Amino acid sequence: MIKKIFSVILVGLFAASFVGCGGKDPDEVDFGDANDFQEDVQQIDENAINGILESFSSPVEMAALIEDLGVPFSKKYLASPEVADDYDTNFKKAIGLGVLSADLGYLNVYAKTGEIVNYLAVIKGIADELNIGQFFDFQTLKRLATNNDNMDSLMFLSVNSFHQMDEHLRKNNRSNLSALVVTGVWMEGLYLATQIAKDDSNKSLRDRVGEQQMILTDLFKILEVYQTQDKNFEKLVKDFQELNKAYEHVSITFVDGVTETVEIDGITVVIQKDSSIVEMSDEQLSNIISVTEKIRNKLISL
Amino acid sequence: MNRIILPLLFLAFIVGGVSEKTNAQCKQQVVYQCATNIDKAIYLRDFNTKLRKGKKGHGSGTKWAVVLNKGTHYRFTLCTQGGFESNVILTLFDAKHPEDRKPYQVTKYTGNRKTSNRFDFICNKSGTYYLSIRFKPGKESKKSCAVGILSFVGKNK
Repeated sequence: MIKKIFSVILVGLFAASFVGCGGKDPDEVDFGDANDFQEDVQQIDENAINGILESFSSPVEMAALIEDLGVPFSKKYLASPEVADDYDTNFKKAIGLGVLSADLGYLNVYAKTGEIVNYLAVIKGIADELNIGQFFDFQTLKRLATNNDNMDSLMFLSVNSFHQMDEHLRKNNRSNLSALVVTGVWMEGLYLATQIAKDDSNKSLRDRVGEQQMILTDLFKILEVYQTQDKNFEKLVKDFQELNKAYEHVSITFVDGVTETVEIDGITVVIQKDSSIVEMSDEQLSNIISVTEKIRNKLISL
Repeated sequence: MNRIILPLLFLAFIVGGVSEKTNAQCKQQVVYQCATNIDKAIYLRDFNTKLRKGKKGHGSGTKWAVVLNKGTHYRFTLCTQGGFESNVILTLFDAKHPEDRKPYQVTKYTGNRKTSNRFDFICNKSGTYYLSIRFKPGKESKKSCAVGILSFVGKNK
């Protein structure tokens, strides 16, 4: 009888350890590819890394700014979904997932539903290969894009799926892949902004390009952490060193102010009076544009 | 007798564990409803958390870092589940405007569907900000969940 009691308790504890402790999902598989990553090699405050990666807000924000500035849509800025055909390592897949997700954000913002379906299909394929496809409801997204009936839902689902995939990577000790996804998103956003800044002297866009120095600094630190694990990271860090150099003399200063709060149409609006001021010469901008173009084109043709 | 009780205890143990997990963050439906009720703004991301009464009367909650950009008009919207609208707050702050002293803003429940638990932030300084979702002091209650939505209203004109 006692044996029976013990066996029931043991089975219970065993099962509970899976249910309650947030163990790895059963569908998660470790990648054993020699080209890919060794897990648990570097334990440099993973929480800090995850916090920084998580803080970069969204694959659609740069596109939203560009659209809001009245810049017309152009397909020429986007990476072709066919680039994914050559992605044969997790390194390339993670970078590609980021780049194509940023492009999907751009298409979403401009409501280009005809093009969206191609990007959805490719992103779903990459996500499946990275074992995070369960967060990407391709059929619903495809239906929303095809019917062209609810752009808000399409935007929500595609951006939310992206964040869930990224979060899953971070929560399952695959922050190295998350770093690459975030790098891909950021690089594509910077590429979009700089390509448009080539012909458009809009100050907001120019400032946004200059301010990327702050994100570049954080992202660079994270990529450096992983460079000892993988030769591809090492190469990426070298490329980012070049970008760092291009940003070296961009100056960002801060001015204090007193925040104002007003009410507009019943909504409380907080107007920040602290400000950041970017100083960047035409020559510096031109150099940033050309280095960004070089790195981004290298990334999509890895 | 034990033959019946022990398996039942075991089942309760497992089900308890499962419900703990399902009661964690808000379900996707709640996030979706909150994210699509942002009035022409573009959804950027969500902040989903479980809430429960803490040990010393302090409610639990979560804090996130978020990079915001100069010249951008953002909207923060808070949604809760199960009638906790007036008990939960979303706070935007940074190092200079700490959460417990002079944060940029805290959501307020007014009962108006369009304006309640929502505020806009016109950012003039690019950098890392923090956002927290917690029970209001003194309003800690049983388990619930809440979701904050960050959306893009436009470039500040």
